[in-house]
Amino acid sequence: MPYHEFECSKCIPERKQHAVVKAPGEDLTSCLPKGYLNTIPGSISERGCAYCGAKHVIGTPMKDVIHLSHGPIGCTYDTWQTKRYISDNGNFQLKYTFASDVREKHIVFGAEKLLKQNILEAFAQFPEIKRMTIYQTCATALIGDDINAIAEEVMEELPDVDIFICNSPGFAGPSQSGGHHKINIAWINQKVGTVEPEITSDYVINYVGEYNIQGDQEVMQDFFKRMGIQVLSTFTGNGRYDDLRGMHKAHLNVLECARSAEYICNELRVRYGIPRLDIDGFGFEPLSQSLRKVAMFFGIEERAEAIIAEETARWKPELDWYKERLKGKKVCLWPGGSKLWHWAHVIEAEMGVKVVSVYTKFGHQGDMEKGVARCSEDTLAIDDPNELEGLEALEMLKPDIIFTGKRPGEVAKKVGVPYLNAHAYHNGPYKGYEGWVRFARDIYNAIYSPIHQLAELDISRDPIPTDKGFATQRMLSDASLPEDIRTSTTLRQYSGAYDTISPLRDKTYPTFDSRSAAAE
Amino acid sequence: MSCELKLKERIGTINPIFTCQPAGAQYASIGIKDCIGIVHGGQGCVMFVRLLISQHLKESFEIASSSVHEDGAVFGALNRVEEAVDVLLMRYPHVKVIPIITTCSTEVIGDDVDGVVTKLEEELLQVKYPDREVHLIPIHTPSFVGSMVSGYDVAVRDFVKYFAKKDKPSFKINLITGWVNPGDVTELKSLLAAMEIEANVLFEIESFDSPLMPDKSAVSHGSTTIEDLISTADAQGTIALNRYEGGKAAKFLEKRWDVPAIIGPTPIGIRNTDTFLQNLKTMTGKPIPDSLVRERGIAIDAITDLTHMFLADKKVAIFGNPDLVIGLAEFCLDLEMKPVLLLLGDENAEYENDPRIKALQEGVDFDMEIIANADLWELEDRIKNKGLELDLILGHSKGRFVAIDNMIPMVRVGFPTYDRAGLYRYPVVGYKGATWLAEQMANALFTDMEYKKNKEWILNVW
Repeated sequence: MPYHEFECSKCIPERKQHAVVKAPGEDLTSCLPKGYLNTIPGSISERGCAYCGAKHVIGTPMKDVIHLSHGPIGCTYDTWQTKRYISDNGNFQLKYTFASDVREKHIVFGAEKLLKQNILEAFAQFPEIKRMTIYQTCATALIGDDINAIAEEVMEELPDVDIFICNSPGFAGPSQSGGHHKINIAWINQKVGTVEPEITSDYVINYVGEYNIQGDQEVMQDFFKRMGIQVLSTFTGNGRYDDLRGMHKAHLNVLECARSAEYICNELRVRYGIPRLDIDGFGFEPLSQSLRKVAMFFGIEERAEAIIAEETARWKPELDWYKERLKGKKVCLWPGGSKLWHWAHVIEAEMGVKVVSVYTKFGHQGDMEKGVARCSEDTLAIDDPNELEGLEALEMLKPDIIFTGKRPGEVAKKVGVPYLNAHAYHNGPYKGYEGWVRFARDIYNAIYSPIHQLAELDISRDPIPTDKGFATQRMLSDASLPEDIRTSTTLRQYSGAYDTISPLRDKTYPTFDSRSAAAE
Repeated sequence: MSCELKLKERIGTINPIFTCQPAGAQYASIGIKDCIGIVHGGQGCVMFVRLLISQHLKESFEIASSSVHEDGAVFGALNRVEEAVDVLLMRYPHVKVIPIITTCSTEVIGDDVDGVVTKLEEELLQVKYPDREVHLIPIHTPSFVGSMVSGYDVAVRDFVKYFAKKDKPSFKINLITGWVNPGDVTELKSLLAAMEIEANVLFEIESFDSPLMPDKSAVSHGSTTIEDLISTADAQGTIALNRYEGGKAAKFLEKRWDVPAIIGPTPIGIRNTDTFLQNLKTMTGKPIPDSLVRERGIAIDAITDLTHMFLADKKVAIFGNPDLVIGLAEFCLDLEMKPVLLLLGDENAEYENDPRIKALQEGVDFDMEIIANADLWELEDRIKNKGLELDLILGHSKGRFVAIDNMIPMVRVGFPTYDRAGLYRYPVVGYKGATWLAEQMANALFTDMEYKKNKEWILNVW
């Protein structure tokens, strides 16, 4: 077994089975770390809790909903304004968060009455909002409040409101992933099938496992609309509560993040016979293949091909400009879950970088299977990494850049490794063809920032170069590039706007004849 | 003309001003050298607090979790504490201080953290780490009591209570800063240095603002030592700048070790800084030197350029930590401004008896509301639906959308201030803080005048 043992973790031998280095000729039968097991206490793991997996990751991107957490204020405060899932309704879900504010007396005597008052009060303060999600927390799970009963009571009293309950306390499982599962199942059990949606196209999908980080969902929705496909609902980025109640009427579930949302797709298949199609909005080739697959399902391949041709022609020369300059750069791909396999191969293929390590905080073995399979040899794969292991890996691998979260990014900064925010992005969106160029642009700007060169210099002992007043990214990136590439007239730098999402919201789309009309 | 202190009428919280107790204990813990806390609860209680602190300071800090999962919640999770202590000690050989910080879940299930500490001291520490200095300190911070402010207060007291021990009298004083920024500590220490006073600073967090060094060695961590904490009992006095963040520790030292305490005022603004210096002088007998007369003069000079021309009569709402809010309100009044709404993010019976609040109630000649247990909807609802007109908001970044959506200029102050660059580097306390605050407020108003084309030409001549 090619397990990798970290020096810092020799004293906790069970960690040894959580990291592997893929060696020549090895496949997954010999090269798969353990995953999704209980965290080792005191290891300073990066994992979060099942409440945040449910509320913060999946629930809150729903945009027309009062998101109320039943517990003390901390859970609510902490999971507020740390993400970039925007919406086209003024970002209500980012701006407002609700806590029932459980106190000691409620712990002793119960907090159900408090919860009911909270629900009524919140609807009264925001009379235009008629939908609510309620999230259980550790405290209210332990005292055993019957949230469902209270919600039923309120729905009887206020017939125009609808409430969804998610019982996923923080301790429910080894990481946030437990919460993903719980909210998926809770939604299909409680809400799917309770609204009959209006069907406006022959081709109807649910777009699942997509959270509209910096507008990803709106980029992908643009492609679907250009193909004449109705996106019935998005689970959950930029999604509407009532649209998600009508998920059962789609012809196809198009699944993006299989880590966080395959559960609901699988249930929709079992209960309503809706097939699941896994796609990938990151990278030119995976995205093109994804659009083709969706189109093929509906028999509208030419619509996909038109988009692929147009977008590729527009953006490929810009992607390739960066690819030439990112070749061989070493990357630690250290996201939360699914991006380890969404990105592992395609950034190597399309940006020329070399992934030297992947990790997952809350992924399962299945994610590692996909991730390790897509990595090249010598890649270090780590499950549930901790602070010291991360530092040791950075020391060993000496990457040029790390894709990770905000706080681990600060750790990397101190050892001279620039970071890109893998969860919230730097200047996204990163989905779509243009988005992928934006990702490449951000990587380029991070790696070739003149500040890193300056950071290396020890003015007390190194010779200080006094012949330069400045450097540019281009001076650093192009120094050793072949002449023809450096002066290429076909390749070009990113030429898009700062905000690419707002214009999509006012866009008009072509209408296609429906199949029934065409047959007449 | 009235100034009322009242509680928020709604029962729920919409956009909280504070997070909960364990966060305050965690913020205190990172101020101590060779200290890594273990938060006993679910992992989110740590993960998000570390994120919050890193958002604010743009640095990462080490805090561990006991990672309570389902089995622990059902059967008790003390075994997780035992394992966490051992794992932490094995892997972090420099660690000496381990506060074990409880949360709502582990308080509800009734885990006996004090008992497990005794057990660990008798067993694990003696058997496995006999030659190592290790301090395990239970800190009880259930999330359903108080707020991050009281959590900080409790933690400072518990650290002091654990370590403080009389040896021989010292000329030092104890300076308990409260929940402040590295820039504040720098300024406070410069005031002390000017008066040639040595202090145990709780906590030495200047080092939170750490460099990126060529040898890549730097880490961000506080630098208050165990010796500093022990010697708090020997000090000639304690000054706790903030009543609600460190006041408990000052009172403890006074009661248990006869170290005289002066609590407050938060030295925000000229007047409160004057009082702080007077308190230092009273406590130590050291004179206030000319250099501070001059420093004060520079601040007064800068403020004189701004007050009656630009700041006078501007209506301000202030939210955040209680001592900060009260200090800012007092300073605004000295600047001729009108702090019409003060929002304190928790419920605390002591607010009613706070002499500063009483003084506001007696002294203010315009309508002013002080809301305790407040949330940010108290502010936004007044602006959107109740006709409150404001010229300026002072508060932390979680309130940013109130300012943005209602087009009211806002000066970020307090914790956290992640949507502005580098604010932790600047003091709000002392004379330098007074200057900085007044100038930030003025510049915010100026920028707003320009965006809104609201008499922006005024600034052609100044």
